[in-house]
Amino acid sequence: MYIDRRQLSVRDMDRSARIATAGLILLFSALLFVFWNIQVIHHGHYGDLAQQNIYRRIPTRAPRGLIRDRHGRVLAGNRLDFGLFLVRENSRDLDASIQFAAEVLGISAERIKRRVEAYRSYPGAFPIPIRRNLGLHQVVTVRSRSDTLPEFEVSVEPRRDYPLGNTAAHVMGYVSEITEAELKERTQQGYAQGDAVGKRGVEKQYEPALRGTKGTRLVIRDNLGVIRQLVEEKEPVPGDNVRLTLDLPLQLFVESEFKDYTGAVAVADLATGGILAMVSNPDFDPDTFTGILDPQTWESLVKDPRRPLQDRFIRGRYSPGSVFKLVMALAGLEEGLITARTVVNCTGAVRIYDRDFHCWRSWGHGRVSLYDALKDSCNVYFYLLGRRMDIDVIAGYAGALGLGEKTGIDLPGEATGIMPTRFWKRRQLDRPWYPGETISVSIGGGWVTVTPAQVLQMVSTVALRGRCPRLHLLDRIERGEEALYRFAPSFRKLPISAEHFEMVVEGMFRVVNEEGTGRAARVPGLDICGKTGTQQVISKENPRYNELVKQKRFRPHAWFVSFAPRANPRYAMVVLVEHGGDAGEIAAPLAARIYRRIFANE
Amino acid sequence: MNDFFRFFDKTTAVVLLLICLVGILLIASASSTSPTSHHLRQAVFLLVALGAGFAAMKFKTETAFRLALPAYLLLMAMLVIQIFAGRVVAGTRSWLRLGFISIQVSEFVKIPLALMVARYLARTRDIGGREFLRLGAMVGLPVVLIGLQPDMGVAFILSSLLLGALILKRVRLYVVVALLLSITAGSVLVWHTVLKPYQKSRVISFLNPGKFSQSSGYQIIQSRIAVGSGGLAGKGYMRGSQSQLEFLPTRHTDFIVSVLGEEFGFVGVSLLLFLYFLLFARQMRFRSTGDAQFYFVYLFTGLILFQFLVNVLMAIGYFPVLGVPLPFVSYGGSSLLSFMIGEGLIFRMRMNPFVNEY
Repeated sequence: MYIDRRQLSVRDMDRSARIATAGLILLFSALLFVFWNIQVIHHGHYGDLAQQNIYRRIPTRAPRGLIRDRHGRVLAGNRLDFGLFLVRENSRDLDASIQFAAEVLGISAERIKRRVEAYRSYPGAFPIPIRRNLGLHQVVTVRSRSDTLPEFEVSVEPRRDYPLGNTAAHVMGYVSEITEAELKERTQQGYAQGDAVGKRGVEKQYEPALRGTKGTRLVIRDNLGVIRQLVEEKEPVPGDNVRLTLDLPLQLFVESEFKDYTGAVAVADLATGGILAMVSNPDFDPDTFTGILDPQTWESLVKDPRRPLQDRFIRGRYSPGSVFKLVMALAGLEEGLITARTVVNCTGAVRIYDRDFHCWRSWGHGRVSLYDALKDSCNVYFYLLGRRMDIDVIAGYAGALGLGEKTGIDLPGEATGIMPTRFWKRRQLDRPWYPGETISVSIGGGWVTVTPAQVLQMVSTVALRGRCPRLHLLDRIERGEEALYRFAPSFRKLPISAEHFEMVVEGMFRVVNEEGTGRAARVPGLDICGKTGTQQVISKENPRYNELVKQKRFRPHAWFVSFAPRANPRYAMVVLVEHGGDAGEIAAPLAARIYRRIFANE
Repeated sequence: MNDFFRFFDKTTAVVLLLICLVGILLIASASSTSPTSHHLRQAVFLLVALGAGFAAMKFKTETAFRLALPAYLLLMAMLVIQIFAGRVVAGTRSWLRLGFISIQVSEFVKIPLALMVARYLARTRDIGGREFLRLGAMVGLPVVLIGLQPDMGVAFILSSLLLGALILKRVRLYVVVALLLSITAGSVLVWHTVLKPYQKSRVISFLNPGKFSQSSGYQIIQSRIAVGSGGLAGKGYMRGSQSQLEFLPTRHTDFIVSVLGEEFGFVGVSLLLFLYFLLFARQMRFRSTGDAQFYFVYLFTGLILFQFLVNVLMAIGYFPVLGVPLPFVSYGGSSLLSFMIGEGLIFRMRMNPFVNEY
């Protein structure tokens, strides 16, 4: 049945078989060459690509260092936070992914799209933080769909936590996502898009210490991004802890005393220049910024007319008012223009350069010496002193005492304020200095603006009879319990005679203890010395003054600067109440309550 | 029976069996992460296919040629029914459900079609306009019907029979010119009317894979990475990161070569290529008698060769992703069964005496 074996031997192949065989040999040689080219010649390239496919280096956030008060109580710590991340390269349809995230999170897809846009220069494998601080139900919703939505990752990361809420908000500042501009400056330092970075306050000032070092996890992942194996893990190194000079119980006390006012209060430890308490009202909740801030909240905080984000202690600029008389007294004494025996007759007003300058007490103080002038805050005494002085000389003394200059306190964004000179006016306003302006400056009016921090530094210098302390918040930086760095207190000695300081201190003592303007600050046994300042925000010469001043926004700012005790002073304090009214009625009693508390707890 | 074993080409049979076994080996690795044991099912398919192949070999060649037209018409009818009533699976209507098994009808068209083309070629002298139109109609009908399902891969492979016919027969020059012109015009027309966006993007991604690393070019790139990273000796069986971590798409069917390239390297690829070379070379060592059997052997072997080439080139990015399985190796019962039946017919023809009357 099967007769003719039609299979040919190689020898007797006919034409078509020969052509076919030759063609096959050519074809298979070409195929072998192609595979050789890919598999052997370009093996390295494709090998690398295969490695890149499966290996991922995932950065892990380091917990920020703790911020603690002088006793070690935690003001800022860390807690665990669920965050939602989007990995673009795992997404089949990016728009659908964004839509899903928008639905789960209850925020607009537009916003998420903008976030994702911001990461366009990052590799597709980079996990883009969409939202932090997820609720448990959101975590469950995303996790339960991880099969169909491999592009979403839920991570557990440490997040800044402020256990005491608004307490010392302006000292803490806040932590928030790094902006693109900040990132450009700092890529060298290992920051990446989505990192949290200190934006204000101590968080910003000590960012390099607090941030810690990120860890990395080297993992093998499949095509859906599911981690199959952990190859190598480098643990993140937590940031170093920052120990502040702040005294938490005192801080809480001051905050509760001050909660109804707008303004700033700060207490300095005169032994070191360390700030024991610092309040600026109104304040904010630093936790608001920690996650991914939504634009509406940010806008409402920035546009709030009460300006809760402004740290009034270092950024609020106010006329010093009568507080400036301390500077004038020192300058006059040091320049030899007045002595303790110099007496002036105050009739309620004085005519200088064809203009009437009024004392706050329209019927006058009668005959006043320097001590009386400080005690009763007599304007006329200082008008007449100012007439005999040059503005540049006054500015020299004010500057030496730290007014119109940054104090150098370890907080970012400190304002300079203004201590005018002839040169300043020429440069800023292109006008000559008028002698009448010197008269206004001599009672702390005119162009002069200062921050409460400068005023605190000034009164501390007076208290220390010419030793100007460097104000600071940092006590030390610690790694674990070991101190890496301790702040070394420093004092600048002013070339003003101690005797003249003693005379100003005598005046300040009388302000409080001898029925002066600050008598409400008197605490028997504490020898508090102080000076009030009631700085009008509208002129008393305004015909409608008595009517307008009933509205809060036209009421004067109330200053009270003080220290205690008189001999070997240990604490200095500044109180500023915006639109507080009469300083002796508002600011002075507040200071007394705080001193009582400080000394009672010793 | 003695005659049968004497004339039966045992070497080619062993080569064929080895190719099929390599397939099962690779499918086992490719589906190690999947819950279905594809390799066990493929083993069952292989047994069925071998049985069918032997049955086909026992079939009188004359009968096979005689049954070609009825089988062709039956299959066309089934294709028409499928287009209107078929269930859509994975975007196509190419599957016919028979109880618990599904059959891909289009895969079987190639056997009667090759038989018919072979017989027609044996009866004509050379190909002029009339002959070409006839051949075109014969091949074109199933190509269009299958293209409508749509299963572009099978349709494309079937049209290679027309190409084979043109190579095997003398062709008038004007036919070639007309053909080239109509192909140019036709492809422009098809590009703008028939092709769906995903198919267009496949072609574009073939031309420029880097641009589409997230979508259609993804498959090509991942496949090439798999092959290239395999190197000379491969990463070891079941140890290819591209396959085992599922970066390779459809790796137990269309991209099975990539699994081979990654896990067994250039050495493994060369061995499989050598087996295929033996198969093709031995089957084409056939006296050019100009009868229908000669044309069938060349046409069908050519079709296997064409499909083999398309698949392998696709895996290394030298051809657009068409969804064409590798003959005898890729997972799939219908494909294996139809190829084995065809092989059965070829084995028989190579034992047949010289006859010219089919």
